[in-house]
Amino acid sequence: MDTGMQPDVLVIDDLQKHFGGLEIMRGVDLTIKQGERHALVGPNGAGKSTLFNLISGEHRPSGGQIYLRGQRISGLKPEQISRRGLTRSFQITNVFSRMSAFENIRIGVMARHGIRFNLYRRIKPMRAINDEAHALLQQVRLDHRADNLASDLTYSEQRALEIGMTLATGAEVILLDEPTAGMSRDETAYMVELIRQVTEGKTLMMVEHDMSVVFGLCDRISVLVYGRILATGSPEEIRSNQEVQSAYLGEEEEH
Amino acid sequence: MRYALIAILALLALLIIAPPLLGTGWQYALINALIAALFAAAFNLLVGQGGMLSFGHAAYFGVGAFTVIHLMQSVEYGDIPFPTVLLPLAGAAVSLLCGALAGFFATMRSGVYFALVTLALAELLHSLAPHWDEMFGGEAGLSSMRMPSLGFTFGSTLEVYYLTLSWVVICIGLLYAYTRTPFGRLTLALRDNEQRIRFMGFNAHGTKIVVFAISAMFSGVAGSLMAISNETANYSVFSTQVSALVVLHTFVGGSTIFFGPIVGACVLSLFTFVVSGVTHSWMLYQGIIFVLVMLFAPKGIGGVIQAHIEQRHALPWKRLAAPYALATLAGLMVACATVFVVQSLEIVLSREYAAAVARTGEYAPYTVFAREWQVFHPFTWLFPVLLLVPGLYLLRRAFARIKALWDKDDDDDNGDVPAATQQLMEGGR
Repeated sequence: MDTGMQPDVLVIDDLQKHFGGLEIMRGVDLTIKQGERHALVGPNGAGKSTLFNLISGEHRPSGGQIYLRGQRISGLKPEQISRRGLTRSFQITNVFSRMSAFENIRIGVMARHGIRFNLYRRIKPMRAINDEAHALLQQVRLDHRADNLASDLTYSEQRALEIGMTLATGAEVILLDEPTAGMSRDETAYMVELIRQVTEGKTLMMVEHDMSVVFGLCDRISVLVYGRILATGSPEEIRSNQEVQSAYLGEEEEH
Repeated sequence: MRYALIAILALLALLIIAPPLLGTGWQYALINALIAALFAAAFNLLVGQGGMLSFGHAAYFGVGAFTVIHLMQSVEYGDIPFPTVLLPLAGAAVSLLCGALAGFFATMRSGVYFALVTLALAELLHSLAPHWDEMFGGEAGLSSMRMPSLGFTFGSTLEVYYLTLSWVVICIGLLYAYTRTPFGRLTLALRDNEQRIRFMGFNAHGTKIVVFAISAMFSGVAGSLMAISNETANYSVFSTQVSALVVLHTFVGGSTIFFGPIVGACVLSLFTFVVSGVTHSWMLYQGIIFVLVMLFAPKGIGGVIQAHIEQRHALPWKRLAAPYALATLAGLMVACATVFVVQSLEIVLSREYAAAVARTGEYAPYTVFAREWQVFHPFTWLFPVLLLVPGLYLLRRAFARIKALWDKDDDDDNGDVPAATQQLMEGGR
């Protein structure tokens, strides 16, 4: 898709993070446009997960700013950022393991509707909530597993559930942290297709190691190396970028 | 579901009809069992549903009790009118406030640190109370009288029983309704994954405070009922023992099931009532039960019951009858052997017995199981061995057979052999 004309959704400005004396983010500048699928790649230890943690509010930046649709979100708590329309999934499967798949999604739907401290109504007759949860479950193709405990789902089903939960919160900007990690080739292909479908019309930013997934799914790619963005561009631009070749992609091919 | 409703109504009917036929001793024991049941259910809201293990829930139980005693005194002296039947509301309100305040700090941490903060808060009250006469009546505590209200005199234990029953049934009903609300579901999600609910837009700390405060509130109702029943309260309601007992009740009953802690509290408090009247070693027996349940049925009595209910259509009941009967018999044999040894040692090693030996110079026979035993007669010590060894052997055989039968029916379904047994051990979900 042509993202050139789209407005900026997420703007990261000179973002810094250090843990003690250890500098992890050394001035990251990055702009994510409305509706694009943006991949964040880079060698291990480049700070990809830290960047996600900073954007989603897990950590506070040591310096710099993050804006979501022009509003500053750096320094806010995860739940405040989530309510402003940015939600993330996790690298390690992070579901409610002792609840059914349906309920996992329904918690997200509750969040979207701002149902947080409701102690005076039964949830069963709340049609809108339940229908929406069922629809989402169907979207991530888990409707046949609705009543199964999340811990009883297969690994790839749990990852799909993870994405469903992220969608359920109604977020417009979705951060996926290695959604295909540890999957077989078939499972990966299935997951890529699923992500493509369910993030239609939303803005996606993902950390991914599998280059075929990145090149197949994403509109733009940013390469993060040692706390700095080395390059940002279309898959073709990144593929032909000499600096990236030597810093990252070339290194990959040598293996 | 319909069976569950029928069972509950039948139990309720029994609880309403039976007590007038019982003596005041049993009525009093039932009051305590009901209070323990409510306390355990309130506690389990925090532990089983919220995933926060508190070691200091006596604090909120005690706050409820003292609130009510103060209010009863005011009513007794004619300072303010307040109907006796509504006293627990006051206990609930004050415990809710204290729970919200304590919860604010305690829930900043989780796991062990949370448990330690709750323990410290309860210990703070426990050590403060004996030195604060106006508030807690010093070491002696405070006493008052139940005033007649709404046509009830509350002079008899039976009337107090019905008052307690009403409050306990209403509160347990409310606690159950809680699990069906959106917030009740969020509580379970919080237990499973606190980090995730934050990233989904929920305020985890606020959620935990509310769960904590509601649990404290219902604990306060339980404490209130205790104060009304006893007409007194002293600093010992804040003790670690009270906090530990509710943990024991909850886990013996099974914290993963709503009715588990209620069952555990009723069984154990009635057990204590019966056994403590007979032997000094009742706490040892209680401890043994706790250890056995934790080892062999980690999801508690409630878990075992639930596993049976869930598998009721799949289980070969007719073929299970024999091994279940055998297990019961073998279990009784082992229990008899244990009780015999414990009771024998309790008597023979007692100071009284030693004094008698010193006085008369001979080891007098003693009585256990309505029979006289000689201390140095070989049969006295052979007897428990004769019960224990075959008992354990038969128990093993019976459980092997039960395990095989539980697994077999699951075998037909999906070939997953250990699933049903695992469910039996873990007690369903």
